[in-house]
Amino acid sequence: MDVAIVGIGIHPFGRTPARSGLQQGAYAARLALQDAGVEWRDIQFAFGGSASAGSADALVNELGLTGIPFINVANGCATGGSSLISAYNAIKSGEYDVGMVTGFDKHDRGAFNADPKELGIGEWYGEAGMMMTTQFFAMKIQKYMHDHAISHDTLAKVSEKAFINGSKNPNAWRTEPISVDEIINSTMVNNPLTKFMFCSPAEGGVALILCRADHAKRYTDTPVYLKAATMKSRRFGSFEVFAPSQALQQVDGPTVDASKAAFEMAGVGPKDIDVMQLQDTEVGAEIMHMAENGFCEDGEQEALIQQGATHIGGSMPVNTDGGCLANGEPIGASGLRQVYENVLQLRGQAGDHQVPDDPKLAYTHVYGAPGISAITILQR
Amino acid sequence: MACSGQDVEIEELPSRGTLWTWTVQQFMPKNPYKSDETPETFIPYGVGYLELPGGVRVEGRLTENDPQKLQIGMEMDVVFEPYRTEENGDEVINFFFRPVR
Repeated sequence: MDVAIVGIGIHPFGRTPARSGLQQGAYAARLALQDAGVEWRDIQFAFGGSASAGSADALVNELGLTGIPFINVANGCATGGSSLISAYNAIKSGEYDVGMVTGFDKHDRGAFNADPKELGIGEWYGEAGMMMTTQFFAMKIQKYMHDHAISHDTLAKVSEKAFINGSKNPNAWRTEPISVDEIINSTMVNNPLTKFMFCSPAEGGVALILCRADHAKRYTDTPVYLKAATMKSRRFGSFEVFAPSQALQQVDGPTVDASKAAFEMAGVGPKDIDVMQLQDTEVGAEIMHMAENGFCEDGEQEALIQQGATHIGGSMPVNTDGGCLANGEPIGASGLRQVYENVLQLRGQAGDHQVPDDPKLAYTHVYGAPGISAITILQR
Repeated sequence: MACSGQDVEIEELPSRGTLWTWTVQQFMPKNPYKSDETPETFIPYGVGYLELPGGVRVEGRLTENDPQKLQIGMEMDVVFEPYRTEENGDEVINFFFRPVR
């Protein structure tokens, strides 16, 4: 049984003091229901996630107590991707016809403070000052720049592009372009990454309505089909966030594994993808994820990014809605924002951030602690 | 480990290795970070992975925090130094990686 996305809704990302995280989730859910032309009472199941804004299933208080199974999902930054896969499999199994996937969040300002205990790591690791996602991403790109000749200017160009795309997206948080000079010269956070090279924890909500593909036309004239949804955790020897030690012999990370599985499932290759949303919690992540997802070889990013290939009009548009860099990261909602953006792109409804030439295949990728990755491939 | 075995032994690692990658933590982390510092006295610190030949790569704090003096591939020693003091006055010792001079 194939699966289609027939309704999408979003609450603008950024900071909304007047609404709780839950209310932002409900806002997105109502828009998604409306978009699919379906009532909440017709929804047969839901998967949802929120890291800091309460239990996702508390949404039933806002939407209605209809008795459906509403399952909470928690997978770090890959929460949205994991919720989507769960819903995908629920429909694919033949058990359900139509359901909702949702994610929302509302985080405090400043970097996330993860608890080592929750990940099975000794408390000493946090006390010593190493329980920092920002350090991992800095160390990973530091090594990558050394091995594959990526320049600081290229790091800054990723942020520059993100803020340009954000300025075209009415739901983005950061909507003012920032120059390469200002990005490079902003406060150093974790060498080599400066303040404007990182995304910030934020707020927002997204909801999607999924149904069995053969019912899709009941809800919409423009269904988008989930050709693949995969999720992988790390294998022994991969270099991942929150790792006190690592084997000398390195293997591919969960992104590479999940990506290969997704392309196999969809029966397409990286060259076939028209638009892609790749986890960009900071600029290094976007650069490395281009290669890890098979869209280029290691080191080719330097020339591609300098030539503008990843811009909206380029040969491989990346993070067309401004990504995490311009939208911030509400953990529960972030992965679903990528899918929302791809559905807009495939419907041709992305407005000022629309990729030209009627994109047909779109790709999303999220990465989360302690080394997990989720991918989707969407087709119209 | 990928074998789900529980039969493990303690093995001594070499105390000298090469710096595999590094960064400098420029802002004071929130809880669970625990040091004797305040936001006013916080000093940025280096963090890196030391590749220990025949062993593993271990993550640890560096004694050096000047980015100009840190380079991938440089030799470093594992050293043990006082890190902070408990409320009862006990000294907490931590391991650090120090550039070989």
